Amino acid sequence: MRFLSIYLCLTLLSGCYQAESSLTDSLIYCTDEAPSSFNPQISHDVASLDATTHQLYNRLVKIDPISQHFIADVATHWSVSADKMAYTFYLRQDINFHHNDYFTPSRKLNADDVIYSFQRLLSKKHPFHNVNISKQAQTYLYPQPFSNLVRQIIKIDDHTIRFVLNKPSVTLLANLAAHYAVIHSKEYALTLLKSGQAEKIDSHPIGTGPYQFKQNSNRQLIRYQAHKYPWQTPVNINNLIFDITPNSTKRYAKLLSGECDIITNPASSQVHQISKNHHITLSIQPTTNVALIAFNTQKPYLNNAVIRNALTQAIDMKNILDAVFFDTATVTHSLLAESSWAYNPRIPKADFNPQQSRFLLKQSNFDFSKTLRILTPIKNSIFNPHFYKTAELIQSNLADIGVISKIIQLRHVELQLALTEGEYDLYLTGISPYTNDPDNLFRPLLNCNANALAGNSSQWCDNKMQRLLDDTLLEVNFIQRVKNYYQLQEDIQAQKIYIPIAHLLRFDVSNKNISKLQINPLTGINFHHVKKVAPLIKEADL
Amino acid sequence: MFNYFIRRFYLLTITAFILTLLAFIIEHWTAHSDINDNMIFHYWDYMLAIMQGEFGYSTIDNQPIIRVGLIAFASTLELCFFAFILAGLVGIPLGLFAGLKRNGGIDYCIMTLALIGLALPVFWVAILFTMLPNMGGWLMPIDGNISSIYEVPVVTGFLFIDSLLVSDKYQLDAFLNHLIHIILPSSVLAIFLISEIIRLTRHAVTMVMRTNYIKAAHAKGLTRSQVVYRHVLKNATPPIVHQLRLQISTIISFAMTIEIVFSYQGAGMWLFDSIQQGDYIALSTAILIISGFILLSTILVDLFLVIISPTIRKSFYADQ
Repeated sequence: MRFLSIYLCLTLLSGCYQAESSLTDSLIYCTDEAPSSFNPQISHDVASLDATTHQLYNRLVKIDPISQHFIADVATHWSVSADKMAYTFYLRQDINFHHNDYFTPSRKLNADDVIYSFQRLLSKKHPFHNVNISKQAQTYLYPQPFSNLVRQIIKIDDHTIRFVLNKPSVTLLANLAAHYAVIHSKEYALTLLKSGQAEKIDSHPIGTGPYQFKQNSNRQLIRYQAHKYPWQTPVNINNLIFDITPNSTKRYAKLLSGECDIITNPASSQVHQISKNHHITLSIQPTTNVALIAFNTQKPYLNNAVIRNALTQAIDMKNILDAVFFDTATVTHSLLAESSWAYNPRIPKADFNPQQSRFLLKQSNFDFSKTLRILTPIKNSIFNPHFYKTAELIQSNLADIGVISKIIQLRHVELQLALTEGEYDLYLTGISPYTNDPDNLFRPLLNCNANALAGNSSQWCDNKMQRLLDDTLLEVNFIQRVKNYYQLQEDIQAQKIYIPIAHLLRFDVSNKNISKLQINPLTGINFHHVKKVAPLIKEADL
Repeated sequence: MFNYFIRRFYLLTITAFILTLLAFIIEHWTAHSDINDNMIFHYWDYMLAIMQGEFGYSTIDNQPIIRVGLIAFASTLELCFFAFILAGLVGIPLGLFAGLKRNGGIDYCIMTLALIGLALPVFWVAILFTMLPNMGGWLMPIDGNISSIYEVPVVTGFLFIDSLLVSDKYQLDAFLNHLIHIILPSSVLAIFLISEIIRLTRHAVTMVMRTNYIKAAHAKGLTRSQVVYRHVLKNATPPIVHQLRLQISTIISFAMTIEIVFSYQGAGMWLFDSIQQGDYIALSTAILIISGFILLSTILVDLFLVIISPTIRKSFYADQ
């Protein structure tokens, strides 16, 4: 039995545990997904934005987190021509690119870097336009509104550039503050081209941000270190670590045990418990991301607004919100978030009314023997904590009015194929706009040129709506723009092209010893000013 | 003696051949791109490549798959080794007590515990272990091998050794952190092992206690502890080791299951991740690594048995 005491002594070593939390120059951020690349120009998922935008890169302008005004980043200031067709930016002259094992820059940032970075998005002739991105993906991964907006970028001198637009537009600054408007090093890009390793530009990034990339080990761990020659305020944390822990329970356990300093996206069922724990800080940010159901309007039996309206009335949204999303989303009747300047508060709400739904379907001679296919991704995402459960609730609602349906769960590649071929009737998805401009939300969803992969999962095309969308983008009168978007929202609601389920909230949880964390729902998390002091959590208190 | 080794070598060669055939079939059907290739020529190429140490590259990170596999398997071995130590420390004394007090109260208690340990499904116990300590306010790590704060370069693949090699940077912190991380998964594995060791020790001790030389030792006037240390343990060890040898593959498979629950970066987690990400070349490589280890360990255990047991040494000269 005395051997048992050895084992017990060994387990008591856990007293030494939490040692890593006391290392105040290192910070572990536990996230649920690995970034798809280290370049936000081609990757727009939340994991990629968190891992790149604020950490590795800078943009010409950014949005002040408090005043929400555009402020300078790489540019010192800018001027707009009287006809609003040209924007001139004056660049800082003291910006260093990252120095690390695989690249040592010979010069500071200048106009060539800015132009070279934007040309990748704009010009098909740019040597990196086709790198790491297929021809098909280019249509939805390169931000089309931005590409259509800019006619030319002119180098005035080494530190002055001018954006010349196709038509006067008010959205240029919003586009330049978006995550995809990051500045890369032209010198690094040319070095990669020369050595035949062009694809490394998106996996071994060189930027100007407060942190520089160090290591990415097999989609489990990403290490950054502080920029060796920072041009901004130096960071307080020297080693920034992204620990990819897909399981939300483990993420929370790791936060409590001090193995993570900050976690993101806790399980919807944990939020209530987390909010009661006084030793951690829960940050809740409303986002413009919306979970939605898309009707495949190309199917003959769904190509009728009355039928779509009837099916919408059969689905109990409140039940879905309570059973799947818990407190992680807010109920909505509009695709646009309430915080948007174009949000139309007068659009009629869709009520849950199965009797009316059945009546309308019968009146429209709906074929009740038809089996509707509800398509969902197999992997849950920020748009839905439980796609399958949501689909089951919809299936049960539809069964109540006599509509038969089956759920099809597919992996990413198969899902893309099914979407391209239109092999579905209802599709559970979501959309996350890149900028606050409403065009960024509506265009992918309604544009005739956008396919299902680009966002138009309803396969919708209506000339009148398309015209309204195009005219609004070029409209310079703000009041008229608002009116147009009001009209667009009413049309969408009347046609029931998409049914919004909920507007999602972003949750990040940090230990009390972490402060000054900034989270932007559009561009991701920002660790630049984060401070970490010695741990405050006591085991007994938990 | 020479004949004995030749015999073992033949057996080893035949088993290894069958294993390469199995690994090849899996490789041919999953990772190989052109399935219309002639299988015989492909097998020949495959064998030549293996002989040269060319097992292919992982499609996930483009690393040599054999290196990735061996590093992962080293972690699994560490887990098994640690569990063995824990199980030995607890299981052998308990088995000894049970054997010495056969059919007594202590024996029944110990054997009941051992049977419960054998009956519990290992993955279920693992899930329970991820929750129980933390529910009791005892903060134990339940994910990974070591905190991601420590940067430990791979030198030997054995994290206990590698973490000591970076002691100039982290002192003993990295080593201790790994030790803390291994406690829960190895405790789960140890539960199964303890039950097995108790059962085997009890049986072996009972058998030895019935022999005439033990009676003679008692008659000589030796005390009970002298009898146990000098005669019982010495003679009970070979059958225990021999039986445990047969359990090596079970222990490794249990360890791999436990790894998945604890996200412990060993062979189980490596295979799980690889299959999920469609890197099927890991399957055939894992078969070769794991079965190769089991073959090798069988021979080493045989040699060990020969060293500790004179009766087994006879088999050297069986055909003379």
